[in-house]
Amino acid sequence: MSERTIRFTSAALAAVGAAIAGYLLYVRFAGGTLACVTGGCDTVQHSSYAELFGVPVSALGLAVFLGLLAAALKRGELARLTQATLALAGFFFGGYLLFVQVAVIGAICQWCVASDLLTTAIAALALLRLRAGETSAEPSPTAVRPHPKPRPNGSRGPNRTPRQRARTR
Amino acid sequence: MPKSRYAVVLIAAAALAVVLIGASLLGARDKTAAVSGTTPAAHAASLFAGIPQQGTALGSPSAPFTLVEYADLQCPYCARWARDALPTVVASYVKTGKLRLVFNGMAFVGPDSHTALQTAIAAGREHHLWDIVHGLYAAQGGENTGWVTDELIAQIAAGVPGLDGSKLLDARSASWVEAELARAAATAQAAGVRSTPSFQLGPTGGPFHIVQVDSLGPEGIVPAIDSALAG
Repeated sequence: MSERTIRFTSAALAAVGAAIAGYLLYVRFAGGTLACVTGGCDTVQHSSYAELFGVPVSALGLAVFLGLLAAALKRGELARLTQATLALAGFFFGGYLLFVQVAVIGAICQWCVASDLLTTAIAALALLRLRAGETSAEPSPTAVRPHPKPRPNGSRGPNRTPRQRARTR
Repeated sequence: MPKSRYAVVLIAAAALAVVLIGASLLGARDKTAAVSGTTPAAHAASLFAGIPQQGTALGSPSAPFTLVEYADLQCPYCARWARDALPTVVASYVKTGKLRLVFNGMAFVGPDSHTALQTAIAAGREHHLWDIVHGLYAAQGGENTGWVTDELIAQIAAGVPGLDGSKLLDARSASWVEAELARAAATAQAAGVRSTPSFQLGPTGGPFHIVQVDSLGPEGIVPAIDSALAG
């Protein structure tokens, strides 16, 4: 898989994750109940683990997915490292939240599980991208482009044979 | 250098995750402490003094309107509503005979919800459900950590004049308590309640309609009560 394919797949997954986090955040502030087939979405969203010191976890998720989207769209080593770090941190934290849902709250939120799956996929892609980046020929935005070869004085264009030049005289 | 690059990413990600997990655990603990504030017995003691209680109801049976609260005793938002909005509702509407409150408990968060609700229902037969509910909210611990202990219930009951703590603990296992729990769950399901706290308001005796509350302070519920009372 080329780095370009990895980047655009990661960007698409991050966009879906941002949409899910945005939906959770919207329902939290607009009121009402979440669409839910697992039956535990509102329980999880109203639990004491749904906030980090007053900041909804869904807001944090939105910020992380937007960060992953930006890192996926940008080229270069810094973007690769940022994507991998954010995605792996999200993977670890998502694992913890999944444990909390099962072992502490006793309810499962389908949207949280979907976010966890997306983060896991993006983390795997980010590691692939890191590896692809080691051998990739994809230029980074800061790479210096080679100067074109200077033309000899008096030439009218590149790659003209002596016979071609003679014909135009 | 590639190996060191992977190590840097892994260490940075793990450090970030540890910070987030630590903040989550501390936040969950602090939220409980913030709701607690003072001792459970002190919370339960005075708010409902002089107000008639009968079963799950608080206030005069002849009050023109009834507000039904659907709540889980482990739900932190229910505890916040009890702390921030309930005192105003009680002082302005229940004590003045305009409104009657009915507590419809739910136990969907887990085992501690069930134990807490059993205790509250049992206290209802002694006309002290609201004292126990308020005391449990004030002492609310982390979800399903086993915080609803016999010692805690005895401590809350000790702060409620006329309530025998040991009798209350024994009454929790009675079959009628389980029947009441099942009836409350069926009522919540029939009302279409899917999250807590949820509220229904209407003339005493019904019919009731769901009230959307967009704030857990008094400002979230007071306009709906005022509107109902104004006719």
